Amino acid sequence: MELLRVEDLSFRYPNAGRNALDGIDLTVQNGEFVLLCGPSGCGKTTLLQMLKKELAPAGEKTGRIFYAGAPQEDSADAGEIGFVRQDPESQIVTDKVWHELAFGLENMGVPTDTIRRRVGEMAGFFGIEGWFRQKTDELSGGQKQLLNLAAVLVMQPKLLILDEPTGQLDPIAAADFITTLQKINRELGLTVLLAEHRLEEIFPIVDRVLVMEDGRIRADDEPQHIAARLTAISPDHPMLRALPAAVRVWQEVRGKGECPLTVKEGRDFLHRHFTGSDAPRPEPEDPEKGDFAVELKNVWFRYEKDAPDILRGVTAKIRRGEIFCLLGGNGAGKTTALNVIAGLERAYRGKIVIKGKPIRSYQGNSLYRRNLAFLPQNPQTVFVRDTLRADLAEIPETMGIPKSEQADRIGQMANRLGIASLLERHPYDLSGGEQQKCALAKVLLSEPKILLLDEPTKGLDAFAKQGLREILRELKREGITLLLVTHDVEFAAETADRCAFLFDGEILSVDSPRRFFAGNSFYTTAASRMARGLWPDAVTCEQVVACCRAEESRTGRKTDFPAEGKL
Amino acid sequence: MKTVVTSGKSGAFSAVHPAAAMVYFLAVLLISMFCFHPVLQVEMLVGAALFCITLQKRGEALREIGFYLPLFLMVAVTNPLFSHNGVTPLFFLNGNPVTLEALLYGVSLAVSVIGVLLWCKCCGRVMTEDKFLYLFGKLIPKLSLILSMALRFVPVYLRQSRRVIRARKAMGLFSGKGITDRVKNRMRVFVAMISWSLEHAMETSASMRARGYGQKGRTNFSLFRFSPADGVLLCGCVFLLAVVWIGRAAGFAAFSYYPRTGGIGAAPADLAVYAAFGLLSLLPFLLEVKEVIVWSCCVSKI
Amino acid sequence: MKKDILAVFGIVLILAVLINGTHIQSVDEYYLTHIDDITPESETVTLSIRCDAVLQHYDELDPALRSEEFVPPDGVILPPTKYVLREGDTVFQILDRAVRSNRIQMEFQGAEENPFGSVYIQGIHYLYEFSCGPLSGWMYRVDGEFPHYGCSRYKLHDGQNIEWIYTCDLGQDAGALWMGGEE
Repeated sequence: MELLRVEDLSFRYPNAGRNALDGIDLTVQNGEFVLLCGPSGCGKTTLLQMLKKELAPAGEKTGRIFYAGAPQEDSADAGEIGFVRQDPESQIVTDKVWHELAFGLENMGVPTDTIRRRVGEMAGFFGIEGWFRQKTDELSGGQKQLLNLAAVLVMQPKLLILDEPTGQLDPIAAADFITTLQKINRELGLTVLLAEHRLEEIFPIVDRVLVMEDGRIRADDEPQHIAARLTAISPDHPMLRALPAAVRVWQEVRGKGECPLTVKEGRDFLHRHFTGSDAPRPEPEDPEKGDFAVELKNVWFRYEKDAPDILRGVTAKIRRGEIFCLLGGNGAGKTTALNVIAGLERAYRGKIVIKGKPIRSYQGNSLYRRNLAFLPQNPQTVFVRDTLRADLAEIPETMGIPKSEQADRIGQMANRLGIASLLERHPYDLSGGEQQKCALAKVLLSEPKILLLDEPTKGLDAFAKQGLREILRELKREGITLLLVTHDVEFAAETADRCAFLFDGEILSVDSPRRFFAGNSFYTTAASRMARGLWPDAVTCEQVVACCRAEESRTGRKTDFPAEGKL
Repeated sequence: MKTVVTSGKSGAFSAVHPAAAMVYFLAVLLISMFCFHPVLQVEMLVGAALFCITLQKRGEALREIGFYLPLFLMVAVTNPLFSHNGVTPLFFLNGNPVTLEALLYGVSLAVSVIGVLLWCKCCGRVMTEDKFLYLFGKLIPKLSLILSMALRFVPVYLRQSRRVIRARKAMGLFSGKGITDRVKNRMRVFVAMISWSLEHAMETSASMRARGYGQKGRTNFSLFRFSPADGVLLCGCVFLLAVVWIGRAAGFAAFSYYPRTGGIGAAPADLAVYAAFGLLSLLPFLLEVKEVIVWSCCVSKI
Repeated sequence: MKKDILAVFGIVLILAVLINGTHIQSVDEYYLTHIDDITPESETVTLSIRCDAVLQHYDELDPALRSEEFVPPDGVILPPTKYVLREGDTVFQILDRAVRSNRIQMEFQGAEENPFGSVYIQGIHYLYEFSCGPLSGWMYRVDGEFPHYGCSRYKLHDGQNIEWIYTCDLGQDAGALWMGGEE
C-alpha cells in the first residue's frame, strides 16, 4: 500500500534565485525503508520538512503531496509522521527522560493512564529503563538521540522521517542508532525515510535509495543498482565517492553481477576475483627523528583532585609539518589530550613542549600568536559577531595589525578557503561545512605554525570531507603542523601522515596509516577489512583499487567478471 | 533495625504521593513552629531525628551531631541573656536577673529550632525538585512545562557558553589585560549567546511543533499516582492536625514558661493531643519500620 | 551553610554577653541594698507601685499570670513608702533601690540599649509590657503629672510623690491624656 506520494513538487524559498526543490516525484510504500542521500545543500532537508506540514518552510510551492491517499492538507494528526533531526541537543524539550517521552502524548491530550502505559512500553522497547528517571542533560549524545527517536515513536507514527540523525554521533553510537532503526522497521513494520551522509552501515539495510542533486531526484533504485545508475549519469559522479567501500571498489574495478554492499560481500568479491599474490612490500618502519613541533612527555591529567586520571602518561612526538591523527573511542581522552596541548587544561605531571619550549614558558597570549591555533569540535563556538567579516577581524585586531592591512588579510584568507562570498552573512546562517571553513579561516588568521583540530569531520558529508582534506594538505605544504583528533578512521587513513591510537589515557601505537591500520584488526577502515588476506597494506579504497589494477595488468587479464550465476 | 539505617537515601516515605507528603510536612511544621509544649516538642524532635536517620547513612547522622549540639547550646544559653522574666533568679548580670525559667525557655526554643531544621531537611530529601514541579503543575499546568523547559535549557546554555569562552581563549582573545578588555570580551560572548539561544529555541520549538505542541486539550503527565494508601495517609494527617489544633484552641496542652513554668496537663483531652501529635510526628518512621518488617517477612518466606 | 548558621548564633551570643556585661552578682548580693534611715533632716520622696488597671482587664491578662501571687487582689504591689533622697537621685534610682530592698522582680532596658536615651522599665513583679493587652505597660507619675521623658532622666526633689502605674490602654485609665508612652 502506498503511504506517501509526492507529485511534481517544486519549492522556492522567498528571495531565492533558484528552486530548492525542482519537480520531485516520489512514492513511499507502507513498510519501506528508504534512504535519501545527496551532497549538502541538495535539498534533502527541505524535501523532508515539506513532508511534515508542521515543519514546512514558507515559500512558493507547486505540486502536491498525498499522505495515505489524502492530500497532505487534510491529514489531521501531528503524531502520524514522526520527525527526528540532526542535533540531539536542541530537540529535547524537557528536563527529565520520562517527561520527554510523555511530551508528545501530553500535547495530543492523551489521558495520563494511557500515557503511562505507552511510555513504559516504549522505554522497555528501547532499553531506556536504566535511565528513565534521569535528567536529560546527563545523557550521552547517543542516548539523547535515542531518546529523541523514542519520544517520536511513542506517538505511534505511521511514517518516521529522520534528517541526518547520526551526524553528531560517534561511530559506535551511530551504529547503535542505525541498528535500532532497522529493528523498528523490521519488527514494527514502520515506514522509515532517512537522510544520511554516512552510508557505510545504512546502505546495506535499506530497501531503496534516492539520490538527490540540485533539488532533483537523480536516482531511485535498490541499493545494489545505485552505483550503476550513478555511473550511467556520469562515470565519475561525485556521489560515487560517498558510497560504502565495497560498492566503491566494485564500481571502480568495473565489477559485474550483484553489487556487494557489506564488508563481507566486498571481501567475498575480492577473494573470488583476485589472488593478492603481488602484495606491495610493506612500508619500512619509520624511525622517530627530525624536529618536533609538539612533544608530550609522560603527561598525566585529571579534572579534579579526586577524579580518575583521564591521561595516564601520554608520550608522543609530533613532527614539524606532518598531519598527525589521534584516534580512539569515546572517553579515551582524545579531546582532553588536545585541550592539554592547546593550553586550555594543565597537566599535573609530565611535560609538554611546543616548538622546543615548555608550554609554561609561553607568557600571556604568546602561545596563541603565530604559534598554535585550535579549532573546536563545534565550529559555531568560534563566532560571536553579526557578520563573518566582523568575526574574522577580531583576530588581526588583537594582533595589533594596522587597520589598512586587516581588510587585505581577511580578503586573502577568505579567497584561500573559498568563503569570500560569505563574508557579509551571519555566521549562524551558514551550513555546517561552511561554518567549519569559516571557523578555520578565523583560527588561521593568527598565522599558526601548529593547528589542532577536534573532530573536524563531524557532521560533514563526503564532499565537505574531501574539501577539508585538500585544505589540510595545502596547509601542510605551507609547513603547518596539523594535529587532528577524530573518530573517523576512513578520513584518518586517507589524510594522515601518522596515526596514533589512544586508549584508556595512554597511546598504544603510533605509525603511518598503512602500517597502523594494517596492524589493527577491528579498529580499521572498511577497505582494510575487505582487503585483509589479499593486500594487508591496502587501507583505503584507492589503495585497494590500485592493487586490483596492478594485479590485472600483471596477469594481463582484463578481468572479465562472469555473472554470479555462472560461477 | 539495622536495615532501617542501611536503607540509605530514599525511605518508605519518599514513595508517598507528593500532595500527601506536602500536606504532612506542612502540618508538622505548622505545629512545630507554634507549639512550645515540652511533650509536643519532645515528640517533634524524636520524630524528626528518627525520620532523618532513616533518610541518611549512619556516618552522616553522627557527623550532624557535631553541628546540632553546639547550635542547641548556643540557642539555649542566648535566651536568658536577653529575657529576665521568671520567679527563680539564678544570679544577676549587670543588675538584671538570669532566671531558671528563661533558661528553660531557651532550651525549648533550641529544641524548636533544631526540630524545625531537621524537619526541613527531611522535607528537602523527600520533596525532590520533580515533586515540587509536579505540585506546581497541578496548580498551573503551563508553568510546570515552562519550569521543566527552563531546567533543561540552563545546563545546555552554560555548557555552550563555556565552550565559546574556551574557543576564544584558545584564539588568544581573552587577553586578560585590563578590566575594560575583559568586560568587552564577556559582553561579546553574552551577546553571541543571546543569538545562540534564539537559534536553539527555534530548533526546540520545531521539535515541539513536530510533536503536536499547541493543540487544544493538552494533558499533564507525571510519574506520581495517587494510591488509596496515599488517601488514607492524607486523611490521617488532616485528622491528627485537626485534633491537635482544636485541642490547643480549646486551651488543652497549654504550657507557659513565664513567670513560673506551668505544669504539664494530664487531663484526657491533653493526653489526646499528645497522642495525636506523637502519632503524626512518628508517622514516617513507623512507615519505615513497617516496610522493613514486611520486607523481612517476605525474605524469610522465600 | 551549617558553619554559617553556627557562626551567626555564635556572634549573637557574643553580642549578648557584651551588651549584658560581665558584672555577675549572686541573688543575695543583688538584694542586699543599703536603705538609708530616715532622719528629720533627710530629704525624702514617696514611691508606690500599683496595678489596679489589671483588675479591670483581667480577661486580657496572660493566663500564666492569673493568680494572686502575681496580681495582688487590691492592686498594690508596693504601698506608698518614703525613701531617703540622695544627691542627684532620679526616679529610676529610687525605683531600683525600692524593688531591691523589697525583693520585687524587675526587668529594664539600659539607657544605652534604646533610642530614648533613658532606662526603660519592661516589667515589674512579672507584669510586663503587653502582658495585659497590646496597649499595656508601666508608666510613672510625679506629683500627679506624667513626665514626657524617661525615668532615669527625671531628677527628684524633696517631698515629691512618685507613682508607678500599670496601664492597659496607653495611660488613659491612669488619667494621662497624651498618647505617648509609659515613661
